[in-house]
Amino acid sequence: MKRKRYYNFKLDCFGASPLAMTPLRTVSLRAPSLVSLRAKRSNLVSSLRAGSCEAIPLLKFLYLNIALFIFLITLILFSNPQSAIAQDTLEKIKSSGEIVWGSDAEGGAPYIFPDPENPSRLIGFEVDLMDAIARELGIKQRQFQNSWDSLIPTLERGDIDIAINGIEITPARKEKVAFSNPYYIYTEQLVVRAKEERVKEASDLKGKKVGTLSGSAAQGILEGIGSVDIKIYSGQVEPYKDLSIGRLDAVLLDLPIAAYYAKPNPLLKFTGAPIGEGYYGIAMRKGDDRLKEEINKILERLFKSGEIKNIYEKWGLWNSSQERLISGFGIRDSGFKEPQFLPSESLRVLSFLPFLLKGALMTIIISVLSMILAVFLGLILVILRLYGSRILSILSTAYIEIYRGTPLLIQLYILYYGLPNIGITLNAFTAAVIGLGMNYAAYEAEIYRAGIEAIPKGQMEAALSLGMRRSLALQRIILPQAVKIAIPPVTNDFIALFKDSSLVSVIAMVELTKSYSILAVSSMKFFELGLITALLYFGMSYPLSLFARRLERRLKRGLS
Amino acid sequence: MIRITELHKYYSDFHLFKGLSIDVERGEVLVLIGPSGSGKSTFLRCINGLEIFQKGSILVDGGEIHGLAKERLSAFERDSIRKVRLKVGMVFQHFNLFPHKTALQNIIEAPVHVLGLDKKEAEERAMSLLKKVKLEGMKDMYPENLSGGEKQRVAIARALAMKPEAMLFDEPTSSLDPETVGEVLTIMKDLAGEGMTMVVATHEMKFAEDVADRAAVFDKGEIIETGIPEEIFKNPSKERTRAFLSRVLDR
Repeated sequence: MKRKRYYNFKLDCFGASPLAMTPLRTVSLRAPSLVSLRAKRSNLVSSLRAGSCEAIPLLKFLYLNIALFIFLITLILFSNPQSAIAQDTLEKIKSSGEIVWGSDAEGGAPYIFPDPENPSRLIGFEVDLMDAIARELGIKQRQFQNSWDSLIPTLERGDIDIAINGIEITPARKEKVAFSNPYYIYTEQLVVRAKEERVKEASDLKGKKVGTLSGSAAQGILEGIGSVDIKIYSGQVEPYKDLSIGRLDAVLLDLPIAAYYAKPNPLLKFTGAPIGEGYYGIAMRKGDDRLKEEINKILERLFKSGEIKNIYEKWGLWNSSQERLISGFGIRDSGFKEPQFLPSESLRVLSFLPFLLKGALMTIIISVLSMILAVFLGLILVILRLYGSRILSILSTAYIEIYRGTPLLIQLYILYYGLPNIGITLNAFTAAVIGLGMNYAAYEAEIYRAGIEAIPKGQMEAALSLGMRRSLALQRIILPQAVKIAIPPVTNDFIALFKDSSLVSVIAMVELTKSYSILAVSSMKFFELGLITALLYFGMSYPLSLFARRLERRLKRGLS
Repeated sequence: MIRITELHKYYSDFHLFKGLSIDVERGEVLVLIGPSGSGKSTFLRCINGLEIFQKGSILVDGGEIHGLAKERLSAFERDSIRKVRLKVGMVFQHFNLFPHKTALQNIIEAPVHVLGLDKKEAEERAMSLLKKVKLEGMKDMYPENLSGGEKQRVAIARALAMKPEAMLFDEPTSSLDPETVGEVLTIMKDLAGEGMTMVVATHEMKFAEDVADRAAVFDKGEIIETGIPEEIFKNPSKERTRAFLSRVLDR
């Protein structure tokens, strides 16, 4: 399996985004005339009036930034997360009387998910399993919530004692963490629409759109088939949803997921024999040998006693494959063959660059198109707001306030996953461009409004007194002056949009951030890849910010 | 030429004009004098449709603006105001030149885009007006590089380029350096000499005396007296006029 959500915290902790914004944010002073604009970027709007960035020469800024960057990198390199956890975890949990296990309840059924009858309670086969393990250890268990992709870094950081959440045992992961003996043998299940005739088995998938989860084993299998149009999702509900409305031709995911989400859906059906085979293991920090030994013993006991079988049967997960887990104990690790789905040999960081660059290109395309949309839609919005009839003015104001007052993420979800409910099905690319564009249009409209309102009233009056209609006066007199004022903050907004575009990864768009997380999750190279990704973002946005500042200075000279 | 009848103007609860009426003859130069805040500017802005008023009417050479009770105007109302504006030119205290256009571009903007003149014709007209305001050498200057007096002269040329029937001046010299006031007044005097109908709100008593045919004294939104400027200055009939004059003339 499976999934990730929202922002990748790794990107943030490298200091990438604050860094890129530094040259913009630190130079802005507030000009009194524009303080009223409460847009989140109001300080940027005002910076152009405030004549502030002249004070510090450009080069000095550059050096400052580089110095800051080097400082942050050094900080990260020398802080070894392992060193904080010297204590043996088994001793620690015994003395505290509690074992903390990391998992992602958002990932969903049947692993761990909120009880539909009582959403504050978590249920799932892994919850039952943890209850049994904790009981055998003679202590309590406590679930620690984090996004699935981040479970292993969280384990390394020491926030949790173990991670158990359908984590496949892979060579790449084994380099980072230790695994218990497998507690479940999973296979991948192909699901298609009920009426589908063309796709009968995995080899039919060539040229088809197939959904799967980020960093999952299924993704590796699909990549192995070749020329499959793979759509990467963050959650496990969405791919089946997109399959049933025709955005996808098939979905390949772990059998437990398919069993829970796809099987009850009359629009969908299983097809073909289960593909591949792999093991879920409990992840622990390397060096926690005593804990690992203890847990392996417990698993063995629970298998032998039939308790695990009961749990799996309760969740509809038991099949004959699992029998092998019972007989397999006693052989330990060596008895299990490694699943063959990940490109384990090509783990050199630079080999990921083409994939990242492809993501970067998508980021650029999405950003540019959505900015164009935002610039024009924003203009229409501000004209309606300031000069439209009463109704249009109210509508435009409402649009601006709603779009500024709700998270972009929610807007994207509604656009992509919500609209199909009323019969509008946008593809991911269109939804991404429209979603970002419509959101930023609200901000651009406010920037324009600040620009227009900064033009003295006398300008409109003079134009009107010469017999111009209001529309002509706007077009010939007001907007040309307002644009001069608006261009620098709009450019700054473009830089912000650049980075906000990473949010469209939630609607199955593979742009730079998504490319990063796909690679990082499968290779476990969060740090190196994060650094490269941050540099790519920085490399794209810094020239823009230099350009914005130059423009700002040039235009300021042009204003009387 | 301009007939104002029973003009009422409210600022929310404040009743500024309580039924103003006055006529301006063709070719007449009328000056509006009186203390600051007495309503001279507002009165001029009403004639040009820049301020709405609630009751009464303003007729300009057949075009008409009526009192309106609302803030947002209909397309028809806006259009009738525009017809009046095409007949009267307006000169503002703060010039309001378009900063992104040169002197010449300021002048040809409306003739080209409102009257539909072709550019060449508009430029010829503009050049002769620049000559008239003695700025032919400044045609390619941007407003930020002009002095106050020069800006105001360009603004006058800009208004004249629309060939208005009458000109409204809203304290045209009040924000000028003393040394440039004269050059603007000279232009205005020339204009009056050519027979232009003019309504001028001003504090320049000398100009009023020399150029104006008639003065109207404003106080608290009322016209308290009208007459030949010279006579009013010498022998005001109202105590409020006398008080105002003694304040300005003593300076």
